[in-house]
Amino acid sequence: MPFTELEHTADILVRVSASSLEHLFAESANAMFSFMHEQREGRSVMRKLSLEAADMDALLHDFLSELLFMAEVDNLVFSDIEVSISGPTLQATVYGELFDPDVHAGGTEIKGISYYGLHIREDQDHRYRVEILFDV
Amino acid sequence: MLEDLRKLGGVEWEIPIGYTPHMKVPGKFFLSDRLAAEVDEGAIQQLANVATMPGIVKYALAMPDIHWGYGFPIGGVAAFSLDNGVISPGGVGFDINCGVRLVTTPLREEDFDNRRELIERLFRAVPTGVGARTSHKLSISELEKVLIEGASWAVEHGYGMREDLVHCEQGGRMEEADTAHVSEKAIQRGIPQCGTLGSGNHFLEIQAAREILDAEAAETFGIAEGQICMMIHCGSRGLGHQVCTDHLKTLESSTKKYQIDLPDRQLACAPLQSKEGEAYFAAMAAAANYAWANRQMIMHNARNVFTELYGIDYEEMKLIYDVAHNVAKFEEHLVDEKRVELCVHRKGATRAFGPDRPEVPREFRAIGQPVIIPGSMGTSSYLLKGTRTAMEKSFGSTCHGAGRVLSRTKAKKQFKGATLKKELSEKHIVIRAASNAVIAEEAPGAYKPSDEVVRVVDEAGLSRVVARLEPLGVIKG
Repeated sequence: MPFTELEHTADILVRVSASSLEHLFAESANAMFSFMHEQREGRSVMRKLSLEAADMDALLHDFLSELLFMAEVDNLVFSDIEVSISGPTLQATVYGELFDPDVHAGGTEIKGISYYGLHIREDQDHRYRVEILFDV
Repeated sequence: MLEDLRKLGGVEWEIPIGYTPHMKVPGKFFLSDRLAAEVDEGAIQQLANVATMPGIVKYALAMPDIHWGYGFPIGGVAAFSLDNGVISPGGVGFDINCGVRLVTTPLREEDFDNRRELIERLFRAVPTGVGARTSHKLSISELEKVLIEGASWAVEHGYGMREDLVHCEQGGRMEEADTAHVSEKAIQRGIPQCGTLGSGNHFLEIQAAREILDAEAAETFGIAEGQICMMIHCGSRGLGHQVCTDHLKTLESSTKKYQIDLPDRQLACAPLQSKEGEAYFAAMAAAANYAWANRQMIMHNARNVFTELYGIDYEEMKLIYDVAHNVAKFEEHLVDEKRVELCVHRKGATRAFGPDRPEVPREFRAIGQPVIIPGSMGTSSYLLKGTRTAMEKSFGSTCHGAGRVLSRTKAKKQFKGATLKKELSEKHIVIRAASNAVIAEEAPGAYKPSDEVVRVVDEAGLSRVVARLEPLGVIKG
């Protein structure tokens, strides 16, 4: 499992771990959407996004916020997320499909990503880890 | 755990100045021994932290449902002077104007049938849960009108009756709202969700008034034993969350700009009289208006379901009251025997104005403001009235319910949605949710029951119980 859910009384706290920053970003997005929708398979819609931020923590926060915004406003369910990072810039291609209540309803609505405690660490074994608090 | 704190007697506790450095006023909270035994120490520290904020007046207060929140504890109440006080999004919460309304119907429990059909139709009529969208898609300019006009926008567009507005706190509209301070992102998020219930602990519940404890107040509020009622609990959805997030960013830098020394970054704030503080207040008011319009639209759709199914007149379903429990407002209060205007923050706390306040609808003014405290799924909810004691002790505030005690992961491990559904059904409570997982996460056992919290505010005199309501059916996201 690339992420584990940790105990948090009010919201959803996850720990994500990956072998590269790109994977860490993609898996963080997958973690977020997995709480919202149990099933995510469709790839009929493709979106691209490009972001820049002062540091990696802010970049991850903005990336997740942007994906959440796109999903909410355009009524999309994302299933596949590809990320490339170069310096302070992130490029992502995301695939998904239109929300279908028969397939995608019944999850937990995430309203935002908390800045609180969001800090990416690189361990001695060169794995990247982060804890993210999703506001519900 | 509460050794350093002073019990003032009964259910009142004080955090003395000095408990944490730079406290400007003492902290005060209300807990029974039972609640004190399990109170979260972190939340008490948060309350002490609030007492260090500039311009805070009299006390940093917390209601008996105090628990850990972002910056301020949930259940927190703090009033700030307009001269040197501040405004803080942490004192309002992310779900701006999350609130509750209570509606009566002419139906009585003994002739209330078709319960399952009612709940099913309500579930179809009220967009609920993740991905659910409103059937009334608004243009940007129309949404901006919602943000300015609040519940009255909804009424003018056919969602309800004019008299509903009188029965909303603040008339369902804060006039300080200004859309110039609401980001485009917040507006985009608001468009598909206006008139939707959302998920989490939000619900629409059908209830029976089971126990009347104050006959005079109950008669004045228009509720009788055995009467079928409807309670709606939700807030400002993604729009309110976005407004809070956007302004937290600005206010974090203005905390530095105005050299405000805070023990916790999450208390980010700005002077009430600063452009950043005014901008947040105007945006918060806009989000609060959105929430009032949202609850008004949901109520309207639910009233139509009752009309279709039971053939009762729409006008016979009266809104008793609508209260906000996450908001900051300008209000007049008595401080050192002088009437002063203050900015009162309530986060997970409800306004509970006593008799004779002009803000209370005329027909309720001799009694006090109706206060609505929702229960969790399958447990009792309460109708109370505001008191003069609350005006003296808590800036006219009381509790808002009770928070979670179990995380979602623990709740899902301990409870199974299908089993809960069956157990509730044995108690004749019909539940309709988007999934069994939602039911498990929101299991009654995951929440503190409201009963003890309500008993404490009643004992402290912050509000008095008028009626207890029991659930018959509920829809959840």
